[in-house]
Amino acid sequence: MLALAALMLMGTEVSAAGNGIVIDGSTTVGPIAKSFAAYFTKRYGVPVTVSESGSGNGAKSLINGACDIAAMSRDMKTQEIAAARKKGIQPVAHVAALDGIAIVVHPSNPVRGLTKAQIAGIYQGRYTNWREVGGPNSRIVVIQRESNSGTQESFKTLVTGKAVPIMPRAESQASNGAVKSRVSTTPSAIGFIGMGFLDSSVRAVPVDGVKPSVASIRSGTYKLSRKLYFYTSGQPTGSIKQFLALPSTADGRRIISELGFISQ
Amino acid sequence: MNLGTRKILDRSFTALGIGSIVVMALALLIVITPIIYNGLGAVFFKGTIEHRKLLYNEFHRGDGAELEREIAEVAVYRDQAYRMLADFELELEGMDPEKAREYRMQYGPVKTALQTLLGPPPGDDSAILTRFRYGQTRWEKAEEKLHALLYESKWDYSDPDVMAKEYFVRRAESFEGTKLAPMFGFVEKNAEKMLLPRFTLYWGFLTDSSIDAHIFGGIWPEIQGTFFLAIGAMLFAFPLGVVAAIYFTEYAKDGVFTSMLRSANSTLAGVPSIVFGLFGLAFFINTLNVSESKSVLAGALTLAIMILPTIIRAAEEAILAVPKTYKEASLGLGSTKWNTIVTVILPAALPGIITGGVISLGRAAGETAPIIFTAAVSVGSAIGIADVLSSPTPALSWNIYNLASEHEAAAEIRHVQYGMVLALVSIVLLLNLSAVLLRARISKKLKG
Repeated sequence: MLALAALMLMGTEVSAAGNGIVIDGSTTVGPIAKSFAAYFTKRYGVPVTVSESGSGNGAKSLINGACDIAAMSRDMKTQEIAAARKKGIQPVAHVAALDGIAIVVHPSNPVRGLTKAQIAGIYQGRYTNWREVGGPNSRIVVIQRESNSGTQESFKTLVTGKAVPIMPRAESQASNGAVKSRVSTTPSAIGFIGMGFLDSSVRAVPVDGVKPSVASIRSGTYKLSRKLYFYTSGQPTGSIKQFLALPSTADGRRIISELGFISQ
Repeated sequence: MNLGTRKILDRSFTALGIGSIVVMALALLIVITPIIYNGLGAVFFKGTIEHRKLLYNEFHRGDGAELEREIAEVAVYRDQAYRMLADFELELEGMDPEKAREYRMQYGPVKTALQTLLGPPPGDDSAILTRFRYGQTRWEKAEEKLHALLYESKWDYSDPDVMAKEYFVRRAESFEGTKLAPMFGFVEKNAEKMLLPRFTLYWGFLTDSSIDAHIFGGIWPEIQGTFFLAIGAMLFAFPLGVVAAIYFTEYAKDGVFTSMLRSANSTLAGVPSIVFGLFGLAFFINTLNVSESKSVLAGALTLAIMILPTIIRAAEEAILAVPKTYKEASLGLGSTKWNTIVTVILPAALPGIITGGVISLGRAAGETAPIIFTAAVSVGSAIGIADVLSSPTPALSWNIYNLASEHEAAAEIRHVQYGMVLALVSIVLLLNLSAVLLRARISKKLKG
């Protein structure tokens, strides 16, 4: 026990700045937040911590004053803004980057492309077999995100609309990474993830004939795109302001594009 | 029942007992072996020159002169490969535009694959993320990336009615007749000379901070956070638990109130840990405001509440196990009740109390759910002891989950995840082992 304690004290460098930046929220914005955090800490010596608990939790954290920056992959909802105002917090949005929601299938799935209506149909339970949308005879395994997810909210807004809900049979996964690994191991699955999470283990299907890419998202021809935000309580000052300026600096833009997102 | 049947029954029960122990041991072996094997892979592996470069640049460790020599050694081969790329790019300029565009489409992935394997070409210092500033640091990963460079994975979508099958095409074939074609064979042949894999013992995995969101570096902040949380929880829960146990055994009168307290304690022991996590968020952070944000303090308090029932029960059992005669003798000699508890009962019960405590410590170290909302972050530097009141911390249990599911490059860093699992299992095992040893020592002293 003593040896353990000694080891701990040895490795513990007492950091001078107790006043770090605390970021909570979206798993989609996670890679950006984490890389910015590392960059910022290295450059300015301000410790930054990042938790990825989902956009909804990020908003709640900001409203409760438990974080400095809420990373969100959707706009703040009116109820959330109302709740924040009640607590005397004025949420201010700062765009971190642009992101496309990629509709992903297993690489073995031969389906050439899907229309927005077909995707909505799959998620609302109207199509249950890949044959109905131009694929092989195989039951569709539908993967969605949990209700706390900003990507889920954006997907609903952009694709299925609020009128008909996503079928409850759709399987929920807790993060972009989890959706990706589920789809990459299930030949008949369909899911949606942020662009930054795309790799060769899944295939992004063209939507309405357009493949998600930097060019198609920036020009707006790929329809399933949204902004990623950093929300703060009131106009930021000091190191938080400095942090939020990162997305528009040259290095910040470079980081965003290296991560597979699109800088504004 | 005659003697024969009895013997048979007796033997078969013994066999059953041994059998179940063997099954348990096998199950444990099946679970533990891959953890140990893969976990050790985070510390012992074949490291390439990229690993040594990384250590030297980021942690200022290693032999600079030797590294210079190695860099010069690999440069001979690397330069040749990069020259082939440059030659091909020149060749493209002079080609028929239609054809050139076709080649360019295929050339992009080749260039990326080569850079993934070897790192950015000499002189190109533009990448900001550390993951793009180095090639493959581990030889087994480098072999994977070499395969990705040599072969293009394709899917046969010709028949839309069946799921496609994957097949591999040699990239060299697509570039037949160009100046790029020999590059593939050259890299395949000289991959070892370009990366200089060597058996590496990376102790820094346990003592370094992570670099670029766990893609490189070690897990010290997580290990430290785990200790802070577990020991913090103990500081709150242990004294409280022992005092409560003394109250239950020595002072409380049997009645409705006491039995209600007891059953409340037992119920608390059965509450799922996520409920404690949410309670911690709602009570310690949002209501009591023990800290501005998530913090080690809030997490430790939450964990303390979670392990409190176990500590109380263990201490209670230990105190009850002290022979009544001890107490009677002490009281009979004119000692006060309090004096008896402190000088006679507690010392005799100490081994049991401490065992319960250390086992709870192990549980506190391993729990994920209570700290999700109260203390754990996926990225953060190691915090000093002065920051525990206000800063959140990474912790092994939570980061294992984070790396397994949420991390954007989860598949690339399985070794880090396994390393964390092994570290956590070892910590819990060590704690339990120290409980056993401590107990043995104290018992011996008491008898002595």
